[in-house]
Amino acid sequence: MQLSRRNFLKVGGSSAAWLAAVGCDRLPRELRALYESPKRSGSFQPPTTQDIDPVTHVLNRTAFGPRPGEYTRVRKLGTTPMEAAAAYVEQQLNPQQLDDAEAEYAVRRFETLTEPLGELFEYQEELLQNELMRGALTRAIWSERQLYEVMVQFWSDHFNIDPSKGDCKWLKVADDREVIRKHALGSFPEMLRASALSPAMLWYLDGRVNRRGNMAEKPNENYARELLELHSLGVHGGYTQTDVMEVARCLTGWTVRSKAQEPYFQIGKVEFKLSQHDCGGKQVLGENFPAIPANLDKARREQLGQAELDRVLEIVTNHPATARHLSTKLCQRFIADEPPARAAESVASAFTQSGGDIPTTLRALFATSEFREARGNKIKRPFNYIVSALRATGASTDAGMELIGYLQRMGHAPFNYPTPDGFPEPAAPWLGTLLWRWNFALALSENRINGTRLDFAALLSNAGGDAGLMAHLLGRKPSPDEAQAYYDSGAGLALILSAPAFQRC
Amino acid sequence: MAEVQSILTGNGDQRQTLVVVFLRGGADGLNLVAPLDDDGYYRARPRIAIGRKQAVRLDGFYGLNPLLQALEPAYHDGALAIIHAAGSEDNTRSHFEAQDLMEHGGVTGGGWLGRFLQARNQAGSGPLAAVALGKSIPECLRGSPAATVLQSLDDFSLGDNRPRLTQSLAKLYGAQTDGLAGAGRDTLDALRRVEQLRNTPYLAANGAHYGGDDFSRGLRQVARLIKGRVGLQAASVDLGGWDSHFSQSLIMDPLISRLAKGLAAFYQDLGDEMHRTTVVVMTEFGRRVEENSAFGTDHGRGSVMFVMGGGIEGGRVLGKWPGLSREVLEGPGDLPVTTNYRNVLAPILQRHGAGGKLSQVFPEFNIAPLPLYG
Repeated sequence: MQLSRRNFLKVGGSSAAWLAAVGCDRLPRELRALYESPKRSGSFQPPTTQDIDPVTHVLNRTAFGPRPGEYTRVRKLGTTPMEAAAAYVEQQLNPQQLDDAEAEYAVRRFETLTEPLGELFEYQEELLQNELMRGALTRAIWSERQLYEVMVQFWSDHFNIDPSKGDCKWLKVADDREVIRKHALGSFPEMLRASALSPAMLWYLDGRVNRRGNMAEKPNENYARELLELHSLGVHGGYTQTDVMEVARCLTGWTVRSKAQEPYFQIGKVEFKLSQHDCGGKQVLGENFPAIPANLDKARREQLGQAELDRVLEIVTNHPATARHLSTKLCQRFIADEPPARAAESVASAFTQSGGDIPTTLRALFATSEFREARGNKIKRPFNYIVSALRATGASTDAGMELIGYLQRMGHAPFNYPTPDGFPEPAAPWLGTLLWRWNFALALSENRINGTRLDFAALLSNAGGDAGLMAHLLGRKPSPDEAQAYYDSGAGLALILSAPAFQRC
Repeated sequence: MAEVQSILTGNGDQRQTLVVVFLRGGADGLNLVAPLDDDGYYRARPRIAIGRKQAVRLDGFYGLNPLLQALEPAYHDGALAIIHAAGSEDNTRSHFEAQDLMEHGGVTGGGWLGRFLQARNQAGSGPLAAVALGKSIPECLRGSPAATVLQSLDDFSLGDNRPRLTQSLAKLYGAQTDGLAGAGRDTLDALRRVEQLRNTPYLAANGAHYGGDDFSRGLRQVARLIKGRVGLQAASVDLGGWDSHFSQSLIMDPLISRLAKGLAAFYQDLGDEMHRTTVVVMTEFGRRVEENSAFGTDHGRGSVMFVMGGGIEGGRVLGKWPGLSREVLEGPGDLPVTTNYRNVLAPILQRHGAGGKLSQVFPEFNIAPLPLYG
């Protein structure tokens, strides 16, 4: 049974009283997901090492941080911490094999996320935007498929679309589902193609107005430029301004029906218009595209015109600069803000050899000694910080707008980045957000965020007391300074969540 | 001292502050700064025009609405420039569309001020780099790194003031030397400064007198933050309600007075600090040239912009006056836009450290900067 909001509201009017009357165990599973915190842990053994061990490292870096008890669970996957970490990462690289029912139930309340493209236009923009944000937050907190959600975030930045532009307000929901989430741990070439023909992307980077109905008309280069600069080869990838113009010419004629166009039910439909395609000969990155002969029949000409998109994507996907660009970005995400060149090279060759298979590429990354050794050297971005704090404390949350308000304050509410380069990954631009992190930590620990609740007494006792709680949050034993500050601060939980060490991952 | 403070705030040379005032609702540029020597103006507005005798003469051609008289000193000091027939290319005459375009800086994602701060602050910025006075972040700041909404300085604090927590944080962040620790110390320092500001009754300098309305209060907070050296790079303050379809003077006069009083007090209060500050006043569109039957004006196109601040060659009304004859008026009878607002903002952003990033701030626009700085 899928529980829609309408049905929920029918039973929901006095749901709190009803809950009290029937007790949680009698609730349908769908409703339980709304009211309960994920996975009550019971007592657990926090880390006992002086430094972050490989298990904590992978939970910090390839996931959004450990939940209570998760360290122990993952540690048991191998005889040594190193083996256990490797086994965990391998599980995470196969997300379909991880049961994720809880997270899926939790996001069911966000109905718009599953609405088909055409139906999205029925909704208020604000609702769509809010449900996108709340869905992303809910999944990051609750999903068992943590690496998958991390990669969803990575690709959302890589193929960034700001929904505030034009019809993207509606279309981004479909892009999130059909481009980003569909391919996040799949095949890069398939994701690139899905993105190139995504209605939201055609809007956001003006592909829809890239046309050449006659030779006087100048193609719109916006998408072509970002395709080369951001999505594939990278800014120093060896392409020229001429290549940008030629790519734009190859992609002329692809467009998307806008909200202003009739008939209504075709809004968001992607179309290829031969009459607006530049049929002349072209050259992209040294490869020739013959002119489309005028004497062929229309269907054949259309086929040839459309095929130019596929050929462009094939050329850029196979270009060595694309492997380098993507592997460098992945290493920046998973290893260090200044990615080590040697690791990037081995990741690039895995990308090339696997034809852009994302799990294979990541497997190579996680196997590098640079990845294993670079522990605690990255700073969490605000989204990751907030999610990691919620996971670490086992808080229950509705991922509501008050929580999202903290992300907005820090400039990191998902789907709110204006330019196509996506939220920056390195730490520097985020260093101005500490006060809001501290205020969040304080409000969370004092249960002052509407819709979000933690049970401090249970957390403390499950972790085996103050020392255990600190070790659980820090992923290692606290330093004498940290322990001292924990007691001196009068707000120990908030202090540790605000400490430099908890900003790191 | 200034040197020490810039080190403390981690702001270095970034101590310039840009204040954006948005007059929401479409402010009537023709009655804010009247073209006194254009007879077309009086023909079109027999009942609501600003009379030649009432107006505050600026030059041979333009005069200020008498309610803006308080701006005269800044104008004559050369610290205030006016740009007439300014606006955007949007011709929908819809408040929403026009504000959106102007704040986004084109049909593009995010706001121009947000993109400017992003481009400028790749190296990081303090917790009070961007502040919106009011209840929400305006669209122009969308995409800014850590923009803060403040209604008052009370909003910038750690909980309800936690000295023990603050001390413990100072100990942990003070024990390390990397960028994160530095940012922590900057933040604690900003907290201390703001708390000092809060605890010291604020007296405006140089005999400046702010009004009691939200606009004056907002500018007063901005002045306080600028003088408090908290690393403020951009602030936005709105003054709304300019949609004067009926009984224009009843609607506009109080707003004009508030605008004048706030800006004049801010100018006086900042004194020398004005050298590192720029205030830009803009609106989404002007009003129809011809008055309507209800003593009001309908949505039009070109309006005025005001730029007040350090380094400008003010005391001038810039922009090409297109005239008001029937042939030059646009659409239903509107003042054409002869200066795109981006060309006013561009030289200002350049002064505030945009470097070579202007094309990122205003994509797909051929910038022809207005010679604001001579």
